[in-house]
Amino acid sequence: MSENELTTKKNSFMTWIDKRYPWTEFWKKHLSEYYAPRNFNFWYFFGSFSLLVFVMQILSGIWLVMEYTPTGDGSFSSVQHIMREVRYGWLLRFMHTTGASAFFTVVYLHMYRGLIYGSYQKPRELVWLIGMVIYFCLLVEAFTGYVLPWGQMSYWGASVITSFASAIPYIGDLILTWLRGGFSVTGVSLHRFFSLHVIAIPLLLAVLIFMHLVALHHVGSNNPDGIDIKKHKNKDGIPLDGIPFHPYYTVKDLVGVVVFLFIFSSIMFFSPQMGGLFLEPDNYVLANPMVTPPEIAPVWYMTPFYAMLRAIPNKLMGVMTMAAGIAIMFMLPWLDRSRVRSIRYKGGYSKIAIVVFIICFTGLGYLGHEGVSPLRTLMARILTVGYFGFFLLMPFYSAYEKTKPLPERVTG
Amino acid sequence: MMKRYILTAALLTLCTTQIWAEGTAIEGFELSTAPINRNDMDSIKRGAKFFAGTCASCHTLTYLRYDKVAKEAGIPTNNKPIAINGVTPPDLSLEASAKGVDWVYTYLQSFYKDTSTASGVNNLVFPGTAMPAILAPLQGEQVMVEKPMYDLTHHVQWFDVLKPVKQGSMKPGEFDETVTDLVNFLAYAAEPFHQEQQTIGYWVLGFLVILFVLMYMLKKEYWKDVERHRE
Repeated sequence: MSENELTTKKNSFMTWIDKRYPWTEFWKKHLSEYYAPRNFNFWYFFGSFSLLVFVMQILSGIWLVMEYTPTGDGSFSSVQHIMREVRYGWLLRFMHTTGASAFFTVVYLHMYRGLIYGSYQKPRELVWLIGMVIYFCLLVEAFTGYVLPWGQMSYWGASVITSFASAIPYIGDLILTWLRGGFSVTGVSLHRFFSLHVIAIPLLLAVLIFMHLVALHHVGSNNPDGIDIKKHKNKDGIPLDGIPFHPYYTVKDLVGVVVFLFIFSSIMFFSPQMGGLFLEPDNYVLANPMVTPPEIAPVWYMTPFYAMLRAIPNKLMGVMTMAAGIAIMFMLPWLDRSRVRSIRYKGGYSKIAIVVFIICFTGLGYLGHEGVSPLRTLMARILTVGYFGFFLLMPFYSAYEKTKPLPERVTG
Repeated sequence: MMKRYILTAALLTLCTTQIWAEGTAIEGFELSTAPINRNDMDSIKRGAKFFAGTCASCHTLTYLRYDKVAKEAGIPTNNKPIAINGVTPPDLSLEASAKGVDWVYTYLQSFYKDTSTASGVNNLVFPGTAMPAILAPLQGEQVMVEKPMYDLTHHVQWFDVLKPVKQGSMKPGEFDETVTDLVNFLAYAAEPFHQEQQTIGYWVLGFLVILFVLMYMLKKEYWKDVERHRE
C-alpha cells in the first residue's frame, strides 16, 4: 500500500466516524484549534499536572480496591497484605499516598497562578467557581481516603473532623450521628467513607474537571499579562498571540510532566513518608478507640484551616471561621475590583497583599502542624486576621490603587 | 572563650523545643542514630535469628506470616503473646515504622536499674515500660549517673546518662552489633519491600533523565515555528 492509499483509507475511516460522532470537531475545538496565548510561563504547568495526578490516583486506586477490605476488622491488615504480599502492591499504595500530597501541591500552585494573574476575573468567574468546588471535593476525598488504612491517625482524625458537625446548634449531634453511622467512629463509618472515597467523590470530580475545562475553553485561557488575545486576530480569525494547544503546549507540558514525575518518583521510591508529613508514624498503629495519640494533626494540606479552627476559643465560632476560610475563596471574582488582571500591572498594595497572603497561608499551615502553645495561638490569630484581611480589604485596595498601563500585545 | 560562650547560649535558645524527648525528664535528650545498613542482608538474617531465639517467646510478627527471611530464621507464626503485669507485648511487624528505627535502637540500649519500679528496671526513652530488661544478661547492668554529660549543643545521648556497673556476657561492641542487627531486622520486618523499592527507584529515575532529553528536544523542534513567527 502506498502512502497515498493509506491516507485515503484513514480519511475515509475518519469521515465514517465523524458522520456518526463529532470526533474531529472535538479534537479541533479542544486541542488542535484551541488557541492558547503563546506566553504561558512556569505557572501554567500545574493545570496539566493536576489532570495527570487525577488519572494516576484513579488508576492506582482501581488496583488498590482489588485487594483492600473496607471493614473495621480487615482494613489495617489488608493494607499490610497489599504492602507485602501483592506484587508491586507497595508501589501502588505509595503511588496513591504520594499522589494525594502531590495533588494538593499542584492544585495549590494552580490556584496561586489564578490568584496572581487574575484568572478568576470576568469572564472566567465560572472557571474559578467550578475549580473551587473541585478543591472542596478534593478535601473531602483526601479526608475519606485517609480514614481507610484504619490506623490511629485515621481513626482519631475521623473523630475530630466529624465532630465539627456537632458545633452546629440544636441539630449538630443528630448530624454527627448521621455522618458517623453511630455514636462514635466505627467500622460502619469506615465503610461509608470507603463508598464516598471510591465512587461518589471521584465521579463528581470527573464531571467537575470536565466542566472546568469546558468553561475554560469557552472563554479562552488567560495569560501572565492578563490581557485579551482575541483583540488582535488575523484574517482567518485566529488570535495573533495564540498558538494551537496541540502540538505546542502538549509537547511543552510533556517536558514538564517528565520533571514532575522525576520529583514524584524521588519521593515515592526513596521517602514516601516524607519524614511523617505524607504518612504519619502513628498511622502504622492499628486504630484503638481506647488510646488517644498525644497529637492529632491533619495531613499538611489541611493544616492552614485547622490552625484557624484552633485559634478561636469557641468551638462553633472556630468551625465557622474555618468554613469561612474556604468559603471566602469562592468570592474572589467579586472581591477583586481592579481594572487589570495580572499582578504585573497591579499597584503596590496588591503586591504587598499577595505577600501577606502567602505568609499567612503558609504560616497557618506550619502552625496547624505543630502543637499548641500560647505564643503559637497568638501567631495563629494574627495570621488568621491577615488571611481574611487579604480578601475582605481587596475591594478597596484593588479599586483605588494606581495600576500600570497594559500592553497591546502579550510580552515575553 | 567568649565566642564559644555566646555560641552555646545562642544554640541553647534555639533548642528550646525538645525533639523526640517524649516522656523523658532529661533535658536535651536525643535518640541515637541506629547504625543500620538496610541493604546488608546478612545483618538482617542475623537479626532474624536473634529475634527467633530471644524476642519471639513474647512478641509476634503477624504480618511476616509469609515472609521468607522470617521463615528461614524459624520465627513462629501462630504463637499467642502472654501478658506481663497486665500488658500484652505488642506485635512488632510495624514497630520500626511506627516509632522509628532510632527509637527502637535507643530503647533497646537504655534499660537501667531503678528500684522504684515493680520490675526493678526502667528505660530512658520509654519510662515505666512493662518490658523486663531481657537483654541485661548480654549487655550488663546499667545505672543512671548523677549528672549527665552535655555537649556544646546541649544534646544528651543514652550513654551520657547511663554507666555500666556489671559486665554482661557480651563485650560492649559485640552487644552493639547484636542490637544493630536486631533493629535492622525490625526495619526489614516493617518494610520487606525496601530493597526492591530502591532498586526500581534508580531505574525509574534513570529512565526519566533520558526521557527528559528526548522530550526537551521534541519541544525545541516544535517551538522553532513559534519563535520564528514572533520575529
